[in-house]
Amino acid sequence: MLRIQNLSKTYPGGTQALKNVSFEVNDGEFLVVIGLSGSGKSTLLRCINRLIDPTEGKVYWDNVDVTAAPPTELRQIRRRIGMVFQQFNLVKRSSVMTNVLSGRLGYVNPWMSLIGLWPQDEKKRALQALGRVGIADKAGERADALSGGQQQRVGIARALMQDPKLILADEPVASLDPVLSHSILQYLEQLNKEGITVICSLHFLDLVHRYATRVVALKDGVKVFEGSAQEIDRAKFKEIYGEEAQEVRAASM
Amino acid sequence: MPTARIIRNTLLMALVVAAFAVSFNVTEADFPRLFRDLPKGKDLILAFLTPDVATREMDTRTISIAFPIPCGSAPNENVIPSEGPRLVPSVDCTDPLTKFTLEGFDLAPNSELVIRWKLPDERLMTAIRTRTDSEGYFTSEVEARPIIATKNGVASRLEVDTLTPVGGLKPSQALLDVLDAMFETIFMALLSTTIATIIAAPLSFLAASNITKRGVIGTSVYYIMRFIFNVMRAYDPLSMALIFAFWLSFGPFPGAMALTVVTIASLGKLFSEAVENIDKGSLEALQATGANPLQTVRYGVVPQVIPDFISYIVYHWDINVRISTIIGFVGGGGIGYYLNLSINDFKWHQAGTAIWAIVIVVWAMDFLSAEVRKRLT
Ligand SMILES: Nc1ncnc2c1ncn2[C@@H]1O[C@H](COP(=O)(O)OP(=O)(O)O)[C@@H](O)[C@H]1O
Ligand SMILES: [Mg+2]
Repeated sequence: MLRIQNLSKTYPGGTQALKNVSFEVNDGEFLVVIGLSGSGKSTLLRCINRLIDPTEGKVYWDNVDVTAAPPTELRQIRRRIGMVFQQFNLVKRSSVMTNVLSGRLGYVNPWMSLIGLWPQDEKKRALQALGRVGIADKAGERADALSGGQQQRVGIARALMQDPKLILADEPVASLDPVLSHSILQYLEQLNKEGITVICSLHFLDLVHRYATRVVALKDGVKVFEGSAQEIDRAKFKEIYGEEAQEVRAASM
Repeated sequence: MPTARIIRNTLLMALVVAAFAVSFNVTEADFPRLFRDLPKGKDLILAFLTPDVATREMDTRTISIAFPIPCGSAPNENVIPSEGPRLVPSVDCTDPLTKFTLEGFDLAPNSELVIRWKLPDERLMTAIRTRTDSEGYFTSEVEARPIIATKNGVASRLEVDTLTPVGGLKPSQALLDVLDAMFETIFMALLSTTIATIIAAPLSFLAASNITKRGVIGTSVYYIMRFIFNVMRAYDPLSMALIFAFWLSFGPFPGAMALTVVTIASLGKLFSEAVENIDKGSLEALQATGANPLQTVRYGVVPQVIPDFISYIVYHWDINVRISTIIGFVGGGGIGYYLNLSINDFKWHQAGTAIWAIVIVVWAMDFLSAEVRKRLT
């Protein structure tokens, strides 16, 4: 279980990206975070695995205080939390295989990994992960030779290598067209059904309805809604998204 | 305020003109001289244009006669044959500072001749170079300089080498020496570049804001590294070479060390900028997997910066070949030093060989580095 308590983040420039946000995520949930661009979704997700250190508040994961973990322990926590990004964040010049293997860096012998040596069974695991997202044949290609949808699948395979209990997906389909969006989200849905908790930020109402088991909405860094996906109708969506709601829905069709 | 601006502009113009006049003066600029003095440069340029690259295998035959100076200072036992290759001086002996005629008969026709004195102490002094005609005859005026005088009853000898080409062309000694020296320069530059890379590559990560500029310690390290690189870069390679020459005296080693220091600074700066320009997203992704900082650099930063690093390294090797040529000229060994020696000895054809070698190598390195950079981007 993930518990977020009174989380606040103020950036050095003075921007208050999160204001006293609290909520809980039970194991096995597919929690969707919605909110306008700039409402603090990315900041929230990054505070959970501490890519960003929150200014105040706590994050507990299975009763371990993530916010207080020293570096070594933090890395142990991180290796069970997969992360998928809007811009895929692959190492473009490296091969697909290397990108996927790098998801395993928290587990393998650090010195071996530094000289680029990977055990045979890790390579097998990487090929399996690629197989699960349907692109095992791309293992030898350079990451930037793949299409956007394929790159995001590599991103998911990399997260899978971590043997994750939790996946954080920061607008994983915002750079993809609607058809590809569904194919990517279906992979996440499948993993969720296998027991991995997913926290995913999304923009489009239809996607929220289709995949979310629960929804948290942010507005200017404040949590303005928490509830089931069904409770979010157009009126509510418009309330959260304000004037831009029309555009957001139009784009999703 | 247009008047103020006009005054200001006029003053500026006057300043520019004055500055130009001063520069003209201190350079002793005299452009017509470029043309007036052209004849003086002609021989030099011609010599440069005809580099010494090939020779023929030469068959050398030497004939010599004793030649007492002054007369009676030593017995004269020369027996000059009436036929066959022979040297015939117009006089058997002479006094210092006089001239006489030396003739040669039945030598190899159309051959190069070197006429020289072999002093009583065995030292050799080349006097004249000339050629035989188609009959194998030559005549030449020879001066009896005081240094050639007889010592302890032993007369100096007049020696004449006849050089007849046999066999085909082969690389001249000058060409071999130039290749040797060029090799030295290229590898001196390679050594400097390699050592500099080994030192600059890890340090550059410390001088990259996205890697180190975090927390008090990281930020201090970042600024210290930046400072060191900037200070090191403030020295140009030549003055650095002079500093090292004081310490290690002249030769290729101090030159290479000076080059290394300058290259560390330059590469360090360029490398750290390459590191700063990487895509942060992939670093974030690696951190999120639980990778430690070294792993993050190895898998996130290194693959992104390798092409930039390689192209900077090749580029610096290219630059360093040029610089070490110049450092060599002031005593640092290699092709520059060879060029300097040839010029000091008035061996213009050899100097020409060296210059051609420099031109070709600089062009080739330039081409190579451009090609490598093109491939990598
Ligand atoms: N590194 C940063 N430094 C300063 N301000 C930031 C930084 N990252 C995000 N912000 C600001 O914080 C607010 C929330 O941003 P973000 O979490 O990226 O929102 P979202 O992901 O919902 O678009 C925005 O106003 C943004 O400009
Ligand atoms: Mg965002």
